[in-house]
Amino acid sequence: MNVDSSMHDDFQRRVEEARRNPQNMGELANADSVGTVGNAECGDMLRVWVKFKEENGRKIIDKASFQSFGCETAIAAASLAMELIRGKTPEEALQLRGEEFARELGPLPPTKVHCTQLVEGAIRSALAPPGAPPDAQSPVASPPSSQTAGNLNESFQQPRPRPEGSVRIVFLDER
Amino acid sequence: MTETNPPPALTPLTTMESVLARYPGARRALFRKYHLGGCSSCGFALDETLGDLCARSGLLNVNEVITYIRASHDIDRQLEISPQEVAARRARGEPTRLLDLRTREEWNAVRLEGAEFVNQELMQGLMGQAGWPGLIVFYDHTGQSSLDAAAYLAGHGFTNARYLRGGIDAWSQEVDPAVRRYRLEPT
Repeated sequence: MNVDSSMHDDFQRRVEEARRNPQNMGELANADSVGTVGNAECGDMLRVWVKFKEENGRKIIDKASFQSFGCETAIAAASLAMELIRGKTPEEALQLRGEEFARELGPLPPTKVHCTQLVEGAIRSALAPPGAPPDAQSPVASPPSSQTAGNLNESFQQPRPRPEGSVRIVFLDER
Repeated sequence: MTETNPPPALTPLTTMESVLARYPGARRALFRKYHLGGCSSCGFALDETLGDLCARSGLLNVNEVITYIRASHDIDRQLEISPQEVAARRARGEPTRLLDLRTREEWNAVRLEGAEFVNQELMQGLMGQAGWPGLIVFYDHTGQSSLDAAAYLAGHGFTNARYLRGGIDAWSQEVDPAVRRYRLEPT
């Protein structure tokens, strides 16, 4: 087994451990705020519920939960993030960045980095003051692209959508 | 003939376009295991090679990825049915629905006898008929996208859902030459 493969296996093991026992998963009843990023159509979506409480004159995060339609890395990172933001003020939680949510998972493969950005974006969506201007650093959910996989239902109900008249049918026996 | 046995070769230099052409379920397989190709963040270009995709995806071993694509393909093939077998079953009078996934223009140009054009209304009606005893066969032009439809129905309990290997083009070559072959050209 080479080094790369070993690191990959180690990452997968940690993700699997976190995913197998996720904390704070599911809708939080009576949540004070909800944030959603991503798009379930393309397989990546994360929703975060947050409930606040007052403590020593400060508004802090009492509980946070999540629901994910993303991959297991997103679930694992979200699970860790919910624990990390608990007890923090919204302002403190907004200072956290994606890589901090997944620190326990170890170095992320490049393809998984956007999973932590998804978590950061959902928390930001839930905690940002209403009417706040978009944060330039905030991850922005990507709409499904016609050049990407989409989902199974889409892939055959809208097969290769084309503008009318953009292609023509040429019978091979007419050549 | 468009027989696909033995499996077509894949190497690190194979472009993703060729990978998808040779293994129609590869995109689904890559997303399922490696989270590649599902959205714009993890998407890939058709002209990049499998080796390049694995390299820029960090720690992926390209040979393991190839092995996984092939293994998934073997599972996909359980949903595959050949034009000859469909024709034989119909000849024996077995109940068979042929569902056409192509565009309206292609449907109007040429179609299989007795086929039904797939639209949302048809799919909604179909979803309530999981217990229907006959065979349900999806087809497209060359068999590239009908696997997804069969897999979708199979995931909803339709054990009788299949996709036509090679699509209507293979039907023309292997069963009925009267079904005219065609290609699509940009105008």
